[in-house]
Amino acid sequence: MNCTRRNFLIGGSTTLFLSGYFPKISFASMQKKNLIIISLRGGMDGLTAVPVIGDKRLRKLRKKLILEDVLNLNSDFGLHPKLEIFHKLWQTNQAAFVHATNIPYTGRSHFDGQNLMETGAHIPYKEKTGWLGRGLLASNIIGKGLAISLPMPLLLRGVPQNNNFFPSPDFVETNLIDQIYNEFKGEHNELIKSTLDTIRQRPLSMQIATDSDDRKKLALEAAKQLKDQSGPRVAVFDLDGFDTHAAQGGVDGAHADELEEVNKIVTILYENLGHAFDNTLILTLTEFGRTIKQNGGYGTEHGYGSAILMAGGLLKKSQVYTEWPGLKKKELFEGRDLNSTIDSRAVYNSAMSVCFNQDPEFLRKEVFWGDELPDLSQELFKI
Amino acid sequence: MSLKFYRRVAFGLSPNDKPDKDPLNWALNQLDTIPNLLWPGIIPTEKELRKKYGEWVYGDREILRKKFKNDKHAYRKAKDELRIKTGERYFELNEHAIRHYQTKYSKQPVFERFWLFWGNHFAISEKDFLAEFSTGPYQREIIRPNMVKTFEEMVQSVTTSWCMIHHLDNSESFGPNSKKGMEWRETINENHARELLELHTVSPNAGYTQDDVIQLAYIMTGWAHKWDRKNLETGDIWFDQEMHQKGDKIVLGVKYKNDAKRELAKVIHDLATHPICIKFVSTKLCRHFITDEPTEDMINPVIEAWNKSNGSLIEIHKAVITQAYKHNENTHKFHPPEIWFMQLSRMFDLNIPLSPEKMNYSFSSKPNRRQRQLSWILREIGHSPYRAKQPNGWSDFEADWVSPELLLRRFWFSSVELPILVKSRNRSHDFILACLKNNFEDHENMASLIENFRFGTLDYDLGQKYGVICNLPGVLKA
Repeated sequence: MNCTRRNFLIGGSTTLFLSGYFPKISFASMQKKNLIIISLRGGMDGLTAVPVIGDKRLRKLRKKLILEDVLNLNSDFGLHPKLEIFHKLWQTNQAAFVHATNIPYTGRSHFDGQNLMETGAHIPYKEKTGWLGRGLLASNIIGKGLAISLPMPLLLRGVPQNNNFFPSPDFVETNLIDQIYNEFKGEHNELIKSTLDTIRQRPLSMQIATDSDDRKKLALEAAKQLKDQSGPRVAVFDLDGFDTHAAQGGVDGAHADELEEVNKIVTILYENLGHAFDNTLILTLTEFGRTIKQNGGYGTEHGYGSAILMAGGLLKKSQVYTEWPGLKKKELFEGRDLNSTIDSRAVYNSAMSVCFNQDPEFLRKEVFWGDELPDLSQELFKI
Repeated sequence: MSLKFYRRVAFGLSPNDKPDKDPLNWALNQLDTIPNLLWPGIIPTEKELRKKYGEWVYGDREILRKKFKNDKHAYRKAKDELRIKTGERYFELNEHAIRHYQTKYSKQPVFERFWLFWGNHFAISEKDFLAEFSTGPYQREIIRPNMVKTFEEMVQSVTTSWCMIHHLDNSESFGPNSKKGMEWRETINENHARELLELHTVSPNAGYTQDDVIQLAYIMTGWAHKWDRKNLETGDIWFDQEMHQKGDKIVLGVKYKNDAKRELAKVIHDLATHPICIKFVSTKLCRHFITDEPTEDMINPVIEAWNKSNGSLIEIHKAVITQAYKHNENTHKFHPPEIWFMQLSRMFDLNIPLSPEKMNYSFSSKPNRRQRQLSWILREIGHSPYRAKQPNGWSDFEADWVSPELLLRRFWFSSVELPILVKSRNRSHDFILACLKNNFEDHENMASLIENFRFGTLDYDLGQKYGVICNLPGVLKA
């Protein structure tokens, strides 16, 4: 096991930071490309989801949290057994992982961290829009965002007329909206007014009452909408509960339960998108990883570096992309957390460039204020 | 002064309330004393409910899981029976009734709005079985009595309450050089220390570092539940010297000498009187009552009152109300779903919550549909009060509450559920008109929008009327 060596890439033959000229591709297929983000709130533990194999130090520091039956990825990394669908897709080059990555935020606060993972900024609460919303706006893709949650996530804000799906128990007569629509006057009513516009334009299948406790039904409807050529191009799922300060457990612990939820959503999307899965990218997003060392409650504390789980036909091949920093004390961030060697925003920027048919350089400037984010689209994705 | 002041700082006017000649004094006079809880039904103590919590976790974890370890179905059945026996399905419903009843009938509704605010500032988010057993009594017994004291006293009470300590894992935090820490090779859990800084007092604006968090966590070590085999984690809070990190600590540049349990009160004093804390909390108060982006000229008078009164919550509340009054006409505050619902309930005298007699519970079967109704509505409109997802509680920003589904839920509630809650004597069109007149200057325009349904008294007609009225911009906002 040579994971302690710096600067090595697993699966990648060239350096990850090769920032070549982005070819203005012909967009050969005008097939709609879908970008699906699954927010994992609370701090997803990359070392539980994609554990490094045989690291003695990790074993020592995490006595109660070690997984015994990991799924095999390659000689260096395994996969949590609850992430079955990723393992299946791995066999056909439709799953991949970026490891030791995070947004450039080291403060370890959920709220600041979640704010930054959504805004993509450096100072918490400074930006009022999300990187995905800005990416859509910059690409002139309006009204194509779909959130699978009751509140509209910050991630999608910044572009008007997004939709969300989380239906009420009974059918709602939208004619009521027509009766009061003109009462919404003035700038301070703009937000509500544009949201009412979105409701009026919803497809019929999204107006039907269902059970919003049933994640399966929600993911099914999302798949249905995404499959539609004229439907949404972006979907955002929201999961929480990754903040496992206690009883994090191994194969069956609290973190495993949450990973199982991710697995469920990706499974349903895969099974129901049909051929549209070939033109889809699914990426996870979290505010930070967790400490290497287990704490007093057999949980872990807020950390830094984590991993991005990826699935979809737009992935180039099955690989664990990483510039592995190692787990020796001096290699850890502040002596306690997995380091982040890849700014995760580079991955998201590249994913947007692929899915929105947009120059990554252009997006980097429009969305991320020109921050130094290498173009990874050729390394990670089919373009 | 427009009538919306009564919704901005309270819950609007019920058919029995009349506008006051001096609305500012009407509001200010409500803040000096703690109104009694009016709910005529059962109001269990925090301690009683914690005992129930203990019975539930002990019964499940120590008995049922072992007894039925090979029979998943029998386990599930036994667990459901235990839920009924311990009230695991019931107490949260009762707490919602106590809360809603209070906001509906209180003679000091302005005080009640502050009660909701502080319960959310010191939020208990959805974790373990806190919503089921503990968050309600925590808000009644920890938050409420402190609302006529100082901010510092409130922070002290909250920080050493069983509910907050359990919520933020402080019982799992061991000083690494403490007796137990060394013996069991345990270490700190930073969660509570971090939120005490970030959410409850100084906020990240204070520029604290990871070291400050660790040092504060050291100070907090030892404040934990008393564990025993029968009550498990539901024992009273005490200071366990054997968990406490020895040595001096430094937080935000201030040195705290090794002084066992007295360290915490000292650091809380410094945090709760820190100028950045005062500014942070004053801004939050103005945001809640005035506008999403309060300006310095709204916030500064609150800070001034804070400093002048050494953090007296009564004086702070009065300063906030004075600013809310002053800016009533030129600002618009969007209300989150629960407050909107409470206002509708008060303004239109809705038949909710259920009567105390019908809320009575036998602990022998599941709570019935009517008993679940209030909590179910709160959940469906997206605002089940004890179930915020994160320890920062529910947002006070409009943008967090305006999405297609969240707005649709309000249309759903007002047009489908609300008509069922209209008392039979109140089904006439004239009743609605009277309520509108009592609460809105532009009641004539509002009435014209429902004129078409004037003669209908079916649930459908009522649904059309309330569906329109309740979602007008002047009702969603105050």
